[in-house]
Amino acid sequence: MWTRQPLLDNGTMVRRVHRLVKRANLAGWLFVVLLSAVLEAVVRLFELQDSLPPPSATLHALADGMVSGTLPGELVTTLESYAVGLALAIVGGVVLGVAIGSSRTLLDASFVVIEFLRPIPAVALIPLAILFFGVGVPMRRLLIAYGALWPILINTLYGVRGTDQVLHDVAATSGVTRVGRLVRVTLPAALPSIATGIRVSASLALLVGVTAEFVIGTEGIGSYMQRQQLAYQLPELYAAIVLVGLLGYVINVGLRVTEQRVVFWVGEKRMTGR
Amino acid sequence: MLRVAQLGKRYSSDGPAALTGVSFDVTAGELLAVVGPSGCGKTTLLRLLCGLTPPSEGAVLFNGRPVLRPPHEFALVFQDYSRSLFPWLSVVRNVMFPLRGAGLTRTGRISRAEAVLDEMGLHGAAHKYPWQLSGGMQQRVAIARALVSLPEVLLLDEPFASIDALTRAELQDVLLRVHGVSGGRRVTIVHVTHDIDEAVYLADRVLILSSAPGRVAGSIEVGLARPRAQTATRSSPRFLAVRNEIHLVIAAKELG
Amino acid sequence: MIAALLNRVVPRLLGVLVFAAALGIWEVWARSEESFLVPPMSAVAERAWQVWPTADFLMPVAASLKRLAAGFAIGAGIGVVVGLMMGSSRRTRRTLEPLMEFSRAIPPVAIVPAAIVVLGLGDAMRIAVIAFAVCFPVLVNTIEGVRVVSPEARDTASILHVGSMGRTFRIYLPAALPSIVAGLRIAVSIGLLMVVISEFLGEGDGLGRYILFHQSQFNMPEMYGGILFLGLLGYVLNSLFLFAEHRVLTWHYGAAGVQAP
Repeated sequence: MWTRQPLLDNGTMVRRVHRLVKRANLAGWLFVVLLSAVLEAVVRLFELQDSLPPPSATLHALADGMVSGTLPGELVTTLESYAVGLALAIVGGVVLGVAIGSSRTLLDASFVVIEFLRPIPAVALIPLAILFFGVGVPMRRLLIAYGALWPILINTLYGVRGTDQVLHDVAATSGVTRVGRLVRVTLPAALPSIATGIRVSASLALLVGVTAEFVIGTEGIGSYMQRQQLAYQLPELYAAIVLVGLLGYVINVGLRVTEQRVVFWVGEKRMTGR
Repeated sequence: MLRVAQLGKRYSSDGPAALTGVSFDVTAGELLAVVGPSGCGKTTLLRLLCGLTPPSEGAVLFNGRPVLRPPHEFALVFQDYSRSLFPWLSVVRNVMFPLRGAGLTRTGRISRAEAVLDEMGLHGAAHKYPWQLSGGMQQRVAIARALVSLPEVLLLDEPFASIDALTRAELQDVLLRVHGVSGGRRVTIVHVTHDIDEAVYLADRVLILSSAPGRVAGSIEVGLARPRAQTATRSSPRFLAVRNEIHLVIAAKELG
Repeated sequence: MIAALLNRVVPRLLGVLVFAAALGIWEVWARSEESFLVPPMSAVAERAWQVWPTADFLMPVAASLKRLAAGFAIGAGIGVVVGLMMGSSRRTRRTLEPLMEFSRAIPPVAIVPAAIVVLGLGDAMRIAVIAFAVCFPVLVNTIEGVRVVSPEARDTASILHVGSMGRTFRIYLPAALPSIVAGLRIAVSIGLLMVVISEFLGEGDGLGRYILFHQSQFNMPEMYGGILFLGLLGYVLNSLFLFAEHRVLTWHYGAAGVQAP
């Protein structure tokens, strides 16, 4: 029932595609199409174009924006800071989390500081960050990194501390060194928590990044959206919203798939009730 | 070879003693079973024996040296196999885990692990993951992992408690086989269990612990011939006699 | 006895000491550097002491909290209702799933310009955006909470001939409560985030605007104070919901005779 997928072989590929098609949820997508059609009719009938563009116009604007390179360009700008910031947060969060989580002293020492800094939302720091770092790329990267750090740090911490004592005992009786234990037992055991933390951070980082772009208004998809709103270019605005949503969705799905491959044992442990 | 002298353990300085005044010896090659009611400190004793927990009083001596941390020569099989096997490693890599520092090449480690798995009757399972196997097979993997480093002393903490009766009988015989083999040199086994029948079936000698606080209530030589068989041995008069004696000792301690 | 007490106090003390040391370093560094952007902690504290109890500060805070409450109520309400529907009916869930997955992937800030166009720059826009952001964590957690309702509970509902309305509110809702409350806790943090974001953009008052205003005026102590107060607010709200979650969990497991994790 629950088996790890063998890596690559033709039979498996065919079977997997087949399963994907069945899982594709025709009803759900039809609903979306239906909803769009209704929306289209309503907007045109009641002449709501001033507030809400008809879906057809949005799609058109989306296609135009993609083809002309405007949307991809802004998207790449946003993604660049996003990726760097998130990467920094992951490295920093995991390293710190493992270090603090595995030492009782460090945990006690950093507890108050962490609880103090943690509730401060990264977006609230945008004005501060602007003063310190200006309005360019470094500022966005740092802000995103700061915002994304916390879920990863906290989750890594809990993952490390929550590691089953039995596993530590096994390592102790198997003659593994302390460092070896950290890498070969603690880290893999904490991986499910770390993966959850990364997933949460990924969407938080996108939020922080796009918000910063809004507030600053120079480059990136966030500022593009703001410009379209100011210029009352509604189809373009909604096209950008759809694009950002798609981006968020792709990132989320990508992370989940990666998670399922890297942390492949989690579903099963839950099945056996552990 | 293994000596326990006036061993005591309390978990907090003003709390109750989990164990107190425990003294016994284990001779090389012996299969010693430890029985007692729940809460008598059997698991604590095992943890103290292999150095996972430091004693509050007394000492554990292995070949004359005090045991302060898990010795290389010891191996431990835990009760909850689903938590003690690493779920991110395949069966063969789980079994290979203790071999890292042993100075073997990777191929050497793999072949040693596979050999032990074969001995355990797990030939086809090498590349599966622990959670894909049944409980009995998982516990065999745990035993295989314990044996792969050729330990002198094997400690088992109620290893068959979470296993169904039929599989349990199989595994008991597997353990007996392990004890009897090992090329001329017998593995010393300390087997903790709450199942008195199992203790008598497996052991050369049974140590009885009483509870609250845990202390040695008695030690009985089993004196049954080897090799043992599930039906023949368990219905022999001697088996029943020893078994009853143990029950009586425990009951007396409970009441007295 | 004393040893046991010390054992519990000392670790906490270490944390507090480290924190105090960090504050001390901030103080010393800020004073020596005389950096304009980093006022000494004492200046921030002093200004906070003066400003926080005043109406000038508390009014924007109240405004922010009011928006949060309104948006939270609406968003959570929608989340729970739709979540109950989607959790109890596989068909409903499958049909709404793609729309839900896509909508929740949109960073709520992206909704702001659309909301501005339709609802203007005022509170209606803010509450709408907050409700949008709050809705999804609650929705997802409600669905999950209902989905894992034990087969025994469902069977009980069938045997007792409970109608689908009754089933939803009298069995699924209570059973899903721990999960729902967890979702509410996550949602309140996101809600607070959106309050700040929506106040950065658009016009009006509020704590977010307070922070932005003082940044533009280069009033550093006020700005820092505002940010810290926001953190404090977040901490208090989170703790409140954690407490509620714990109570619900204990009641839940207590009723089942099982030890709460």
